[in-house]
Amino acid sequence: MEALVKLSFYCFAAASIAFSASAVSYLAYAVGRVRLRQTALATSAGTTYVTRSAALEPGWTGAGRFGTMLAWFGVVFQGVSIALRTAAAGHLPLSNMYEFSSSFIFLMGLVYLLFERSYGVRQLGAVVLPITVGMIVYVWSLPVGLREVNALIPALQNRPLMTAHVSLAILAYAAFAVAFAAAVLYLVAVRRSVAWLPSPELLDDLGYRAVTVGFPAMALVLILGSVWAYQAWGTYWNWDPKETAALFTWLVYGVYLHTRSLRGWRGNRSAVVLLVGFAAVIFTYYGNYFFGGLHAYGGV
Amino acid sequence: MAQVSTPTAPARRARRSLPDLVVDRLWRFFCSVRIAIWEIAILALLVLIGTLRGSSVPQTVADAVPALAPLVERWYAWDVFHSLPFMVMLGLLSVAIAIGGMINRAPGIWQAIAHPTVATTHGFLRNAEASATLAAPAPPDVLADRMTDALRAAHYRVLTEERNGEIHLYADRFRFAKLGTFPFHLALILILVGGIVGARWGFRETEFIVPEGSVRGLGYGTGLSVRLDNFSDTYQENGQPRGFRSDLTILEDGEEVKRGVATVNRPLTFGDTVFYQSGFGQAVVLRITDARGQVLWDDAAPLDFVSSVNPDAPAAVIELPPAKIKLHVIAPDSNRGNAPEQDPLGLASGTMYFLPRPLGPDGPIGDAPGVVGRVGEVSEVAGLNVEFLRERRFTSLQVGRNPGIPIFVVASLMLVGGLAVTFYFPHRRVRGIVAAAPGGGSAATIVPLARRDWSAQRAFDRLSGEIEARLGLPLSRRRSPAEGPASATSRG
Ligand code: HEM
Repeated sequence: MEALVKLSFYCFAAASIAFSASAVSYLAYAVGRVRLRQTALATSAGTTYVTRSAALEPGWTGAGRFGTMLAWFGVVFQGVSIALRTAAAGHLPLSNMYEFSSSFIFLMGLVYLLFERSYGVRQLGAVVLPITVGMIVYVWSLPVGLREVNALIPALQNRPLMTAHVSLAILAYAAFAVAFAAAVLYLVAVRRSVAWLPSPELLDDLGYRAVTVGFPAMALVLILGSVWAYQAWGTYWNWDPKETAALFTWLVYGVYLHTRSLRGWRGNRSAVVLLVGFAAVIFTYYGNYFFGGLHAYGGV
Repeated sequence: MAQVSTPTAPARRARRSLPDLVVDRLWRFFCSVRIAIWEIAILALLVLIGTLRGSSVPQTVADAVPALAPLVERWYAWDVFHSLPFMVMLGLLSVAIAIGGMINRAPGIWQAIAHPTVATTHGFLRNAEASATLAAPAPPDVLADRMTDALRAAHYRVLTEERNGEIHLYADRFRFAKLGTFPFHLALILILVGGIVGARWGFRETEFIVPEGSVRGLGYGTGLSVRLDNFSDTYQENGQPRGFRSDLTILEDGEEVKRGVATVNRPLTFGDTVFYQSGFGQAVVLRITDARGQVLWDDAAPLDFVSSVNPDAPAAVIELPPAKIKLHVIAPDSNRGNAPEQDPLGLASGTMYFLPRPLGPDGPIGDAPGVVGRVGEVSEVAGLNVEFLRERRFTSLQVGRNPGIPIFVVASLMLVGGLAVTFYFPHRRVRGIVAAAPGGGSAATIVPLARRDWSAQRAFDRLSGEIEARLGLPLSRRRSPAEGPASATSRG
């Protein structure tokens, strides 16, 4: 058991390296190459003027492919890490911030790669993978004690509900991260005519599709959370800060959907709502640091 | 407005009456999409304000901008989620959902499902963002039939109409998914209804305490009482609790009706009343008689208070109305981490401190002295005989009856189902015209109804590819309205 936990941690370390390298590759791919041009002009007087200019050029496609491959490595290592930990603990690793964030890293990578496949767009990785790496840095900064497997306190022992509630939350956050990335790229793509970025229409649509995954998942998170609260504490809604933060997030995406479907918002304004939505996601995710309340005992 | 209320006959005929006008205004208010979005946004804002109230954020604001301190003070004091503005917003939103989101939309949505407009115009096809044109040597009606077959093979419903020798065509897929918005929005209202029903017709007792071996009545007009047969708690090696368990017997009007176990997360249910394990503590079993031998108390008393002299000492208060005395029972310091001298009463384990106090204004005793009682012994306390029989434990249960739960469950299913249908079965629509081509034969042009919708356009590309493959006819595609007139695309 000890060995499994250790091995799981080594896999996480390997995934960390793969994801970080992947983030670098994606960035290199999306930002493109900077080419310095030097023009020399000789005048009749015999002097030479030299002008230098920098131009952005499409990135090396190999870097993009490399990013994808490394991201898959990361996802596989992280998946193995989670599987080993599941074997060691006898339940999915979702009970403290270390475990929760590990699963988040895994799902964010996977959801992103699936979107990348279905839309054939690699540049998004330049936003999603750095977020993943940020998450990895956060996990490394957590107290080492959280890496050990501890038995659950009684209120967390409702396996099926807890697993569904928490893994759907992670899925929703991962989808919202992809939507956020699409919004960021959109805002870049319409401001600078960076020829090799995907078309703004595609990015706009991709953001919407990601929300159509995240929004129902988040609805289920709220519902299952209240069913669980009902079983554990006897009330299905406590107005607990973590609950209301999640509700707030959900409502922001509700505004996003309405402005699109009813007022025909696309593009810029939609993208800005997505940025607000993702800020709400982060706020909900790290809510434990702001609040006490029922959700605080997962151990940071 | 003055004119409206002036009772002159012509004015009344020309303008609508005041109630009419008010109803009309209200209706339009609730149908307004813009207002609906604002309502959701304001609700979100209120939720955010209420959420932040539980955090240190307002304090940070006050520290940064001292001028805002009084406002922050009020922020912390404001119980947003039980406030009038919040309730009003929920009410407004429910009415808006019912009127603007459902009633007002229903006829239009039904029309689009059952009787969509088939006829279109060449101008519409020309201005579409994308289109596909097929040419065939056959006459228009033959091509239209073949197009219809191909669209049906792609699971589209096809409607056609003949106009001036041209065949107009409308095809769609997943039309019934448009109805998904109704269960979804209705569910939002039902969740609120469930909450109101639960609050109005249910009850919740947060601290229902039953000592081991004792029976306690639940109240709330249920006629139920509960006996705790056994309580057990288990711990892990590091001292973290592993589980708590109460073996309970439920009695209805004194008759045993159910036996069962309540643990954390697995409550015991009887009918629609649910018993949750929420806590436990120490209890003492006492038998108290007065000087004449009359029994005043013969039961367990939960030590569910703490002593005012030592917050680590559990305590109980037993009221004995016949003697006009209330007896305070204080246990030894229960915190093993404390040094013994921290217990001001210096009680050893197996002892209790009995402190009599007058009950009511005409209680017989003043500040009578306390007595230390030992388990198994009888002590005399203010003229009463207090026999300390044994120590026990009590369980603390939460008991609730919530008739809103079934509503909540149904609403949840409707919500998730409605969302899934809305998002994953998007209504796809195609319009087209099949007309005779100038050079003989015929041409069919179809366009997607997908303004600024990348996924729908991609679905259209797939569809036109399927039609092309199925009919084996050359197909030309056009993107974006700016590029050339429609006629340029049809190959003769
Ligand atoms: C003010 C009250 C509301 C009104 C009047 C309203 C109205 C509508 C209408 C008319 C539609 C379009 C349905 C259609 O024609 O296909 C819609 C879609 C939708 N509404 Fe609402 N709604 C309200 C509140 C809410 C709330 C509170 C939420 C949840 C946060 C919500 C979530 C949605 C979703 C997810 C869609 C589907 C959007 C899409 O298809 O992309 N609505 N709403």
